[in-house]
Amino acid sequence: MSTSAAAPGRASADGIAARARGLTKKYGSGGTAVLALDSVDVDIARGRFTAVMGPSGSGKSTLMHCLAGLDTVSAGRVWIGDTEITGLRDRELTRLRRDRIGFMFQSFNLVPTLNALENITLPMDIAGRRPDQEWLDEVIDTLGLRDRLKHRPSQLSGGQQQRVACARALASRPELIFADEPTGNLDSRAGLELLGFLRDAVDSLGQTVVMVTHDPGAAAHSDLVLYLADGRVVDEMEHPTAAAVLDRMRLFAGSGPRPSGPRAARGPLDEDGVAVEGA
Amino acid sequence: MLRATLRSFLAHKGRLLLSALAVVLSVAFVAGSLIFSDTVSRTFDRLFASASADVTVAPRQGLRSAVPTGVVPTLPASLARQVAEVDGVAAAHVDVAVRNATVVDSRNKPVGPTTGAPAVVSNWQVTGHSPVRLTSGRAPRGDGEALLDADTARHAHARIGDELTIRAQPGTFRVRIVGLATFTTTHPGTARVFLDTPTAQTRLLGSADRATSISVDAAEGVPRTELKRRIGRALGTGGHALTYDLKTADEQAKSAAESLGGFLGIVKYVMLGFAGIAVLVGIFLIVNTFAMLIAQRTRELGLLRALGADRRQVRRSVLMEAALLGLAGSTLGLAAGIGMAAGLLRLMSAFRVNLRTAELVVGWGTPVAAYAVGIGITLVAACLPARRAAAVSPMAALTDVETAGAERPLRGRAVAGALVGAAGAAALAGCAVVHRTATAVSLLGAGVVLTLVATVTAGPLLVRPLIRVLGGAFPALFGPIGRMSQRNALRNPRRTGATASALMVGLALVGGMSVAGASLARSVDHQIEKTLGADFVVQNRYFQPFPPEVTDRVRNTPGVGTVVRQRFAAVAVTLPDGRRVRTTAAGYDPQLDAVAHIDYVHGGTAAALADGRVAMDAGFAGKHGVRPGSVLPVEFESGRRARLTVGALTNQDMAEGFGIEGGVYFGIGTLEKYVPGTPDAALYVNAAPGTSPDRLRSQLTKALAPYPDAQVRDQADYKELVHDQIAVLLRLVYALLGLAIVIAVLGVVNTLALSVVERTREIGLLRAIGLTRRQLRRMIRLESVVIAVFGAVLGLALGLVWGVCAQRVLALRGIGLLTIPWSTIVTVVVGAAVVGVVAALLPALRASRMNVLAAIAHE
Repeated sequence: MSTSAAAPGRASADGIAARARGLTKKYGSGGTAVLALDSVDVDIARGRFTAVMGPSGSGKSTLMHCLAGLDTVSAGRVWIGDTEITGLRDRELTRLRRDRIGFMFQSFNLVPTLNALENITLPMDIAGRRPDQEWLDEVIDTLGLRDRLKHRPSQLSGGQQQRVACARALASRPELIFADEPTGNLDSRAGLELLGFLRDAVDSLGQTVVMVTHDPGAAAHSDLVLYLADGRVVDEMEHPTAAAVLDRMRLFAGSGPRPSGPRAARGPLDEDGVAVEGA
Repeated sequence: MLRATLRSFLAHKGRLLLSALAVVLSVAFVAGSLIFSDTVSRTFDRLFASASADVTVAPRQGLRSAVPTGVVPTLPASLARQVAEVDGVAAAHVDVAVRNATVVDSRNKPVGPTTGAPAVVSNWQVTGHSPVRLTSGRAPRGDGEALLDADTARHAHARIGDELTIRAQPGTFRVRIVGLATFTTTHPGTARVFLDTPTAQTRLLGSADRATSISVDAAEGVPRTELKRRIGRALGTGGHALTYDLKTADEQAKSAAESLGGFLGIVKYVMLGFAGIAVLVGIFLIVNTFAMLIAQRTRELGLLRALGADRRQVRRSVLMEAALLGLAGSTLGLAAGIGMAAGLLRLMSAFRVNLRTAELVVGWGTPVAAYAVGIGITLVAACLPARRAAAVSPMAALTDVETAGAERPLRGRAVAGALVGAAGAAALAGCAVVHRTATAVSLLGAGVVLTLVATVTAGPLLVRPLIRVLGGAFPALFGPIGRMSQRNALRNPRRTGATASALMVGLALVGGMSVAGASLARSVDHQIEKTLGADFVVQNRYFQPFPPEVTDRVRNTPGVGTVVRQRFAAVAVTLPDGRRVRTTAAGYDPQLDAVAHIDYVHGGTAAALADGRVAMDAGFAGKHGVRPGSVLPVEFESGRRARLTVGALTNQDMAEGFGIEGGVYFGIGTLEKYVPGTPDAALYVNAAPGTSPDRLRSQLTKALAPYPDAQVRDQADYKELVHDQIAVLLRLVYALLGLAIVIAVLGVVNTLALSVVERTREIGLLRAIGLTRRQLRRMIRLESVVIAVFGAVLGLALGLVWGVCAQRVLALRGIGLLTIPWSTIVTVVVGAAVVGVVAALLPALRASRMNVLAAIAHE
């Protein structure tokens, strides 16, 4: 698995970066068991920006964790490119995450003892691979981190920290980048900036990004929004706009998906105060 | 508040476990040593009390020698009749007991344990105070019959009817075992042989009318002290030239216990030394644990403060937690101490000291000491963290401080460390240049304590520079894993410093001792090379002088050239400056120059050994106003006095070492005149011209085969003997080191475990982005290694400085050569790295088992 034969960015011919079939995740057992994912089938298209949305407890984070090989599945199968990851052992999964996947989390993305540059190259350093300097420079310049490379995370603002995390995710040219609420802890300006970078990564750098979010404004930057509710993919939306996403989300305000609902200007899901605007 | 304290104590019990273990270890050693010595002394008190006659009359021994002279003090056996006539005496018995005989079986093997004390041969008499009972066979009657104690018989596979050979001072004789005697109380660990009284007198003392003591039974209703007074009056009025020591049973038991006390004292002090190390290192562990727990609970403490708890309450709550820890640790430690004492008593029986004791003696002092030590050290150790906890501001509840204290400035420590360090360095420098031994020793002690305190204080400041160097190769060697572990070790210098301190203390002590030990060995080697000119030295295994037969045999061995005898005598020399110095003097044959190279400042061997002359160390002489030709009054252990003229002064390196002051010696003729019959303590033997030393050695060994205790040593063997004795000391030091390391490992485990918990999210992140479990384990292991090696380097550096200074002080006593045992030092550093690896095992395993998702989500 450590071989880089599977060149980043283009592993399988059919344009699918990740795929799940009958993906089921159950927590606990017996009467108290909670079904977080209920036989989900999903295809993540290569070279696109996919957002996963849904209310709290809908299973969107679990879906991402299972797709990324961070969590085990209860049933079903998951592929990254052509590699089936269900059934892989910890070491193989770790290598897969290291070599083929990039990660961004909501917070605590960086190792505090390493400076920005060391954090960016960490996955490749761990793998013992030399980073592609040209690509690295491009990523660093795109994210505007050139003059921050020697700073430790504690010397960076929240937005800069997330940009470093983004650079880390991009630096090894993974097949797939998973971002878990990457703008959750940022103010709106830094959030927008970051979303712009992710958008850019897809459009100009040809990366594949999967982002979990509950912010319609963030989702509006994506190419495709998958809606999850009660552990199932209940809907999807191509070329979303913030308004359309918001409208769709209002349907979840009740207990489940409904064919239609009343329009309202502002709802409880806007609690973050993130500006709702068009993509 | 109390409830909150209890809850918090219980909630953190896992993290307090390792600190508790340190308390348990310290308390166990304190309690174990007390219980052991109480039990043994109670047992022996009983033995001595039951074995002592109502009143014992013994020859007075005014002078005692640091090395055995072999002289057996005796009194006339007729004294027993004289004593028997005293009013109130029921019976007076003649006692004969010697320790200078070798008892061997038919194959010339000693019957007693060769590791223990020499055999005791005595007369057999049945009194109410005998510690032994005839259990099979019959009592010895007449020459050629003996009893053997049953324990020895069992170990030596000796049976009734077997023959034993007893090589006593007056000559060798054979006996047949006619019976076995069993100790009714405690077997003291030496072989015991009993003869009938006349045989014992003639065979052991060389005269039918001598005895080693008289034991007196009191008549009904006569108090022992009264009886002692009456006997004293009866003996004292005769105007005897010799005086006697009279002791009641209680006094006799007490003095016997005191002589045993020396050994027990050593065991006790060794164990208390262990306890001390455990306490010292344990304090570091406890301080560190509490400091970390408080750092982790900063927000919680801030909340308590915000809710209205005042500083005193917070401080008290932490101290309360410490007291609970101390209480729990002391209780467990007390139990462990009882177990340890029981184990030690078991071990004693391996040395054939069979303590027939049913119960362990736990005096009231033992639990008091245990709880005082246990609770005391935890409270003392928790004081600082408690103050820090009290200083937490209510604002801490609101802000997100990850680890309080990590970035607090270390300026205070720098200043304090520098000041104390300067004082310590000055004291050490002082001890190296001062010429008075007492002053130098106290300066050394002060220097050691001050520099230790300074290093512990300034430790965190040294973390950054030292670990940069020590871990400098890590990034190159281990890539990003190495880089991260090095930086993790640098993350919280206080914590790293405190963790390493525990290891440092132990290794500093060991470093210092090993330098001193190596220097001692080297200097003694040098001394032996310089002075010992003989091909061989014949000496007894226990350094007991041997019977004249041995000397005769050596002299008659083919190929033997010069033989120079050495004898010892306890003397008291009155010096011109008015001081009366008690020391051990040696007597030599006139051909001394052939077997020893002596550096004379004045006179020569002939002048030193001539009749009525004496020689001594020039330095000693100068100090006390002795000049060549001075006439000195000398008192011998026999009680006889002489006036000896100083005939020669010598230059001796170790004139003041080993309890022999002044390096006093004279001719063997002088010694024979004042202490007739002193046995030879050593023989210095040269090969005759034409005989090779190798050949002589085999001849000597053959000639001495019947005397298994007599050993033939050449210069190399002699050095080895000295090295072995030093090695015993060093082994003790290494055992102390072992304990210190065990506790220090607990400290490293503790720190790593808490660090792993603190860094849970970081570990989760690293795992998510592709760090394998193995890499994660390696990262933690490397951090552990760098902390351990940091402690080792700091400790050894400090220890080396101490060792060099100690050698300077020892140089005043003739240990003039400095040797630094580099191999030991390298071994210790490598060992420290191994310790680091071992300490990281559990924390690393725990970290690698963490669920990635749970770790990322960890608050």
